[in-house]
Amino acid sequence: MSGLRALLGLGLLVAGSRLQRITTQISACRSGPTWWGPQRLNSGVRWNSEVMASTAVKYLSQEEAQAVDQELFNEYQFSVDQLMELAGLSCATAIAKAYPPTSMSRSPPTVLVICGPGNNGGDGLVCARHLKLFGYQPTIYYPKRPNKPLFTALVTQCQKMDIPFLGEMPSEPMVIDELYELVVDAIFGFSFKGDVREPFHSILRVLKGLTVPIASIDIPSGAGTQKVGWEWV
Amino acid sequence: MSSAAGPDPSEAPEERRFLRSSEELSLAQMLQASSLVQRRKQAWGRQSWLDVPSHSVPSTAEAAALERELLEDYRFGRQQLVELCGHASAVAVTKAFPLPALSRKQRTVLVVCGPEQNGAVGLVCARHLRVFEYEPTIFYPTRSLDLLHRDLTTQCEKMDIPFLSYLPTEVQLINEAYGLVVDAVMGPGVEPREVGGPCTRALATLKLLSIPLVSLDIPSGWDAETGSDSEDGLRPDVLVSLAAPKRCAGRFSGRHHFVAGRFVPDDVLRKFALRLPGYTGTDCVAAL
Repeated sequence: MSGLRALLGLGLLVAGSRLQRITTQISACRSGPTWWGPQRLNSGVRWNSEVMASTAVKYLSQEEAQAVDQELFNEYQFSVDQLMELAGLSCATAIAKAYPPTSMSRSPPTVLVICGPGNNGGDGLVCARHLKLFGYQPTIYYPKRPNKPLFTALVTQCQKMDIPFLGEMPSEPMVIDELYELVVDAIFGFSFKGDVREPFHSILRVLKGLTVPIASIDIPSGAGTQKVGWEWV
Repeated sequence: MSSAAGPDPSEAPEERRFLRSSEELSLAQMLQASSLVQRRKQAWGRQSWLDVPSHSVPSTAEAAALERELLEDYRFGRQQLVELCGHASAVAVTKAFPLPALSRKQRTVLVVCGPEQNGAVGLVCARHLRVFEYEPTIFYPTRSLDLLHRDLTTQCEKMDIPFLSYLPTEVQLINEAYGLVVDAVMGPGVEPREVGGPCTRALATLKLLSIPLVSLDIPSGWDAETGSDSEDGLRPDVLVSLAAPKRCAGRFSGRHHFVAGRFVPDDVLRKFALRLPGYTGTDCVAAL
């Protein structure tokens, strides 16, 4: 139980310290209205500002999100591959809208994508691939890889597209700030429960110290899933 | 790794070691590699679609080889690529026929799907059109038994997309019921005899259509190399080439030609000497 409280505490610290920076960063971007709330299945993002301003978005609890997933897999016969491809593509599209290449300092802009051990990590791999096609220069850190064909195939696709995989995570936030203009957090998703094990505990601690923006896929990794309202992708 | 691609003269040898190796990089290597990658990117530059000579448009055999490379070397799954093509096809339809400009009736779309991969792309396209708030109806008379097609069919059914059990042979009924038709019957290399009687009869009816027709990849029934040179062939208003235009696209004379499906890696483009129009931003569709 204390582990869970520590986790929530970590989430609060992570979100709180970063919120101001993200607000500043987003206002500096020449993009449309802020994208609020986790939306997992965003095939074909429609950037319609009137719709977004007038429609109230529902935020899902962890149970609801898992129930939606189960319905899609069992009733609708979607495959994990399909949904992961749409999710990763949508995330890359959203990131590109929030941080367009023209608003970044480097050409192509450098992005570090940190992929966790589960499906959120898989989303990150797809996202990295599409970011590359959109003209970014992604690098991936993927320390814990499930031994399943889906994930090994996604890794191969990235490797074949010359997306480098780091052998080690920089231990100093400043090093990441130097090398990358944006970090994509694809570590843990909405089904995460329990303690954060290494190496991810250390990774999250490093991310806390960053000054460059962080875009989290689905939820900020390590944040309690009851938290809402942050400006995360 | 794909050694068949051949050395790229613009790459320095040490750069190729960093970028092609499956080994992981240390931080020091990353710092060095990042500046090398910058120079390589600048050298490559952007491609633009000008008057493309025919040799840079893939033949049917080359298109098949390209697909094999993606599936076998790059380990893409067929489902991934079909999903990306179907999604991008739907986006292309929204560009050619934007929703705000359409009346209620004009939003109704008939999607005619054959039993092969082109049909699978059509099923995905229909689903995304539904998400985009069009009103698709599917005619899919000859059903493939493979799992991909069955799952895609389930997804459409569960999203309340109606499946017609027969297609009227009287074309006026189709003109009156729908705003546009998507032809996803036959892709390159598919013989008419492979698609079955109902699809063949449907194509005969579609030839007489007066509402807009959108063909996915190639107009069904056209020879993928030479195109259809008789007045008898389908004459779509919109052609949505998947990944890259096929040779027969040169004979297309309709209103809009799009390329859709943005997933072909740079190295594969170079290997097959493909030149595609520049996609802008996050678009998965580009107009030719």
